[in-house]
Amino acid sequence: MIPDSTTLEILRYKTVAAAEEMGLTLVRSARTIYIKEVADFSTAIAGVNGKFFAYPEALGVSAFVDLDLNPSFKDIGPLKPGDVILSNLPYANGGLSTHLPDLQFIKPYFHEGEIVAYGWTFAHTSDIGGGVPSSISPRFSDVYQEGLQIPPVKIVHEGRMDEGILRIYLSNCRSPETNLGDVKAMLAALDKGGQRIADVIAAHGAEALVASQTMLAEYAADKAKAVLKRIPNGTYEFWDYLDHDFVSQVPVRIRCKVTVKDGAIDLDYEGTDPQLMSAFNVPTEGLRHPYLTLRLMHMITSHDPSAPLNHGLMDTITAKAPKGTLINPEYPAACGVRHATVMRLIDVASGALHKADPSLVPAAGGGTVLPVVLAEPDPVTGLRRSMVIQSIVCGSGARDGSDGVDGRESGLSNTRNSPIERTEDEAGVMIEEYALRSDSGGPGRWRGGTGIVYTIRILKDDCAVLARGLERFFFTPWGASGGRSSAPCRVVLNIGRPDEKQLNRVDMLEVKRGDTLTLMTPGGGGFGDPFTRPIEEVSYDVERGFVSEASAERDYGVVIRKGSVDQDATAKLRGAHQASEGFDFGQNRKLWETVFDDELVTRLNRTLTRFPASIRGRKRRSIYEDVVPELKAEGHFNIADMAGRAETLRAKLADLVAALEAQETRA
Amino acid sequence: MTTTRTGWRIGIDVGGTFNDFVAAENGTGKRVFFKEPSVPSDPSLAVERGIGGLLARAGIAASDVELVMHGTTLALNSILQRNGPRLGMVVSRGNRDVLEIARSRMPSAFDFTAKRETPLIPRNLVFEVNARCLSNGEIVHRPDEAELDRLADEIRAADLKAVAVMLINSFRHPELEQLVAEGLRKRLGELPVTESASIWPEMREYERGLLAGLNAYIQPLMKSYFDRLESRMRGLGLTAPIFITTNNGGTVSLQTARARPIDTVLSGPAAGVVASVKMAPADLRDHLVTLDMGGTSTDMAVVMGGEPEYTQLAQVGIFPIILPVVAVTAIGAGGGSAVWIDAQGILKIGPESVGSDPGPICYGRGGERVAITDCYLTSGILDPTTFLGGRMQLAKEPAVEGLRKLARALNLDVANPAEEAAAAALKVATAKMAVELSKMLARRGLDHRQFALVAFGGAGATHATLLAEEARLEKVVIPLAPGTFCALGASLADIRRDFARSLGVLLTPAGDGFSRVADAITDMMKESLAWIAGETDSGAALSFRVKADMRFADQAYELEIFVPEAMREQLDGAALLELFHAEHERLYGFADRAASVRVSTVRLAIAALNETQVERVLETGTAQSSGTRKVYHKGEWVDAALFRRADLRSGFAVSGPAIVEQDDTTVWIIPGWQATVEPHGNLVLVPDDKTA
Repeated sequence: MIPDSTTLEILRYKTVAAAEEMGLTLVRSARTIYIKEVADFSTAIAGVNGKFFAYPEALGVSAFVDLDLNPSFKDIGPLKPGDVILSNLPYANGGLSTHLPDLQFIKPYFHEGEIVAYGWTFAHTSDIGGGVPSSISPRFSDVYQEGLQIPPVKIVHEGRMDEGILRIYLSNCRSPETNLGDVKAMLAALDKGGQRIADVIAAHGAEALVASQTMLAEYAADKAKAVLKRIPNGTYEFWDYLDHDFVSQVPVRIRCKVTVKDGAIDLDYEGTDPQLMSAFNVPTEGLRHPYLTLRLMHMITSHDPSAPLNHGLMDTITAKAPKGTLINPEYPAACGVRHATVMRLIDVASGALHKADPSLVPAAGGGTVLPVVLAEPDPVTGLRRSMVIQSIVCGSGARDGSDGVDGRESGLSNTRNSPIERTEDEAGVMIEEYALRSDSGGPGRWRGGTGIVYTIRILKDDCAVLARGLERFFFTPWGASGGRSSAPCRVVLNIGRPDEKQLNRVDMLEVKRGDTLTLMTPGGGGFGDPFTRPIEEVSYDVERGFVSEASAERDYGVVIRKGSVDQDATAKLRGAHQASEGFDFGQNRKLWETVFDDELVTRLNRTLTRFPASIRGRKRRSIYEDVVPELKAEGHFNIADMAGRAETLRAKLADLVAALEAQETRA
Repeated sequence: MTTTRTGWRIGIDVGGTFNDFVAAENGTGKRVFFKEPSVPSDPSLAVERGIGGLLARAGIAASDVELVMHGTTLALNSILQRNGPRLGMVVSRGNRDVLEIARSRMPSAFDFTAKRETPLIPRNLVFEVNARCLSNGEIVHRPDEAELDRLADEIRAADLKAVAVMLINSFRHPELEQLVAEGLRKRLGELPVTESASIWPEMREYERGLLAGLNAYIQPLMKSYFDRLESRMRGLGLTAPIFITTNNGGTVSLQTARARPIDTVLSGPAAGVVASVKMAPADLRDHLVTLDMGGTSTDMAVVMGGEPEYTQLAQVGIFPIILPVVAVTAIGAGGGSAVWIDAQGILKIGPESVGSDPGPICYGRGGERVAITDCYLTSGILDPTTFLGGRMQLAKEPAVEGLRKLARALNLDVANPAEEAAAAALKVATAKMAVELSKMLARRGLDHRQFALVAFGGAGATHATLLAEEARLEKVVIPLAPGTFCALGASLADIRRDFARSLGVLLTPAGDGFSRVADAITDMMKESLAWIAGETDSGAALSFRVKADMRFADQAYELEIFVPEAMREQLDGAALLELFHAEHERLYGFADRAASVRVSTVRLAIAALNETQVERVLETGTAQSSGTRKVYHKGEWVDAALFRRADLRSGFAVSGPAIVEQDDTTVWIIPGWQATVEPHGNLVLVPDDKTA
């Protein structure tokens, strides 16, 4: 029977609840910190088309509503009741996973011999082998270094566990017992989903269940379309940068062209840099991958929270990421730290949507999230053990009608922080400061949220701090519609001491007893001309210390002396101000693009596609380093110097690009 | 608390619209109920009036009352409305933003327009002091007199009404925090100063600091309320001790409540769960789901083994409360949930509520949005003239018209469009409640078939069989007076308080390290006994419940290990470890007995047991139906036999469709279910195919 609209609503409740019960079952019996504390897992139910029609609203990772199970079935043969498919290799499961620690499980749900739905779950497990404990390092250059690769295989055949595969898997993990616990928890979650689907069939019939899969997707599509139609027709181009790829000093650019036609949206990432020789690649496998469209999904769900979470939301959206770029790399590019790149994908889509209509999306958020890890010697074994001491976040971007959120951002993950007391109870550190970072929010009519200051004092010998994936040291989060960009990321060793040292990236930093390390994360970008921010709002921020008196005067034109506003001086300053508009990308980007402008970089990237993907990155890097040799080694590059020679350097770049264009294909 | 004397006990539940009163005579089981409208401007006035009315109805004198037990939502509302005094907080240097950062989570991962909560205390009223110790107690910075002078000056200049002090690591080493608080008291005279470790000494600076802040925030209001309440009670000639119900389903003396009002904020829902445990038929008490469905909110809870379940993850609005609280799940469907149709033509329930003013259309107060109550009325489940015992006339025709409009929007082309729309709305609401119930059980790994549903609140009994059928629960219990059930729960509560010590002790596989656990338990026993001696001199039986939060040293997840009372006295390291390993084995299928285990927190709850016998034994007898009413159920009109609850006697049985009306609610027994009155007065409902 085709369900009527009331039954459809009931089926929606029941199937979403089924997905949520899967998640609850997983959390209850899983053992990994990633599931218990960080909530890096998800559960969902896919329809017979292999796409999710039921997704939890507040449990686990929110980003994966639009994943596609079909590539996982390609080489698996006929499915039977009781089968479960396991995989973790992005290049073999169509980007279902995007790095190896994420184990993926799929179970077909049968009714009278026919598949009526699929249960799906993934969890970030503690370890999958590879070159370092916990399997992730930005320095890895290919996926072989990142651990055990599992293409889609049946780990359970008609209810019987394949003990051989399980043993191979467990032999490749550093924490087999914990991982086994998580595998069992995920299998239990899939069983729970199966029971609930059987309940739904018992109450409403299999035909209604299958029909509801399409109907719920259409329902979501209809709601999504109503939101997407607010985007004016046109073509909008935007690009943004990662500071570097971690193994060189060369910045990384992602570019997107958004084409809008009556609510149909195309995201074309042509002009994006080639795949990287480090672990920042995002394997999206040429599909409309959720990471490519994440900002659009958030835009839809923000503007219509009643929209059902299923693949229908993305119905009118297409995405193209060229093969061999860092957002659709070829096998075997490394991808462990892909979340750093995904943050930038959000910014790029956001910027393009801004050009279409500034009221739709916020300015750039702080753009970097990462776990800060401390490695300290174990008192018993003497070996170093590592622990996450804090999940560091930034501020959110401001948007039309609202300031950004101070010290919080939920774009990618929305996990809780670690209390200072827990950190100090377990690690040999003292957290001297954990605070909002004054003056770090981008000034604007609506102020960007502030970043965070986190100061660690080391209390033991022979420790190291790992903060891999910290970003936005160089290219600051942008402001929009006249709003200003925010303060960059800063990391300082022994701040305020004679041996104080600025760091521009943190890999594995060896620290001594008594050292302090201060992490200052960026705020979000501002929105609208800061000189139009009402005086009382500026003075409120100053009173609370989010903005200093100096910044109030410089950035907002509000003169505050000893807590009270000097009205005359303010009026004078504000009267002399020239209205600001458009994007503010910060000084560094402006200078960078005096040499590496959009036209040349886009041409270069297009030309590089003639070469095998595996060598494009090296070619690109050598061209950048030819133009600016100071990029070759850390600490020598000076952007102002480069800009001073911009004309010459740009000409050199143009020559190199032209020469490359003239070269024979696959030279 | 006396258990031998006969006498009357009064339970009071103060709500937003009504105050409920119960008087119960110990020994005879006599019970009298009374309702009195709230007086928001002077809440204790309504209590005074209500007690007057209750005593008159019961025909007893003030001197016949031996105990008054009172629950109030005053503190809760004050926090939700943020109408407390100007409050400040003192923190260690570097922690000024502890309340701003909170736990760093956004309210939604899907909504980039979501904002963070407004902190309890704004950033400019949080003061840093140069006072800091490490987790081992080593003092890194000790404030000198000049530093305390400076701090006191700052606080004086800020013109505060109260201040909370939270220093890092005070949960285990409170000395420095006390030193700062004492220094401030000396300098600031009357200004109330609250130390975080004195309210709840548990690890996690945000939550602990917030608790101290909230306690300070509601204290002035609650003190003055308790003062007025006490003087009004004494004015009525009541000399009985007054107890206030608490978050943990217990009660505490006025003196404790004045010092720790934070213990009372979530007492309302807890009292209903306590009443369910104490009033449900004894053979069902091991597995209960409670349903407290009112006009604007619906709370559900799980009871296992005759004990309410406690959580430390409760929230007041946006604020986490890490005190042990009776675990209650609020779901977004109540009698006031709005029924509407979205742009795609789909019928939606909630999440908005029409509230009680204007309320559903049928209240006739100008409400124009259809609510669930309008659906009950349109379906015939409610009678417009007998709602709340006839105290409130409902307007049926406008409600039906409202549903007819919805039917048109839904394109329902049927003979009974309004009734069909009402049925559809009830179906969706029921499904919504049932999936929440199912998730609540899934979270705990429990099987729904074992559970009986205890339904109370104004609408609980009306919706109970609908929900039970959908959620496949095989038993429903409707207590005698569901509308005043929380007041009854108050009168049945034990005197109870929780204590905790955060240890962070490592137990070796041999159990070494246990002495600190033992010391903590001894210490808490001493503190709890001293406390209870100040609460009551009745010689009531005491119970102690000891729990420990434990985990493998190299793992992040903790298990809560309950120490059976019989083991408490002889507990040693090996025995505690074995309890942990057994629980780990039960949950995860294996135990690693060679690994070290960390005991992070030890907890103790003391209770002076309330052994009131209030279960009235009904005489057996039968009852005459007062007629029938047409109810639209599953697409057809059925004739429901009508009964008055007051007429029902023990052993009476009826099959659905039937309706039992009473002054505080209407019980809807759907076709396919049977109701029986058991000797204690509960109505027990069972599906036909499950009757013995």
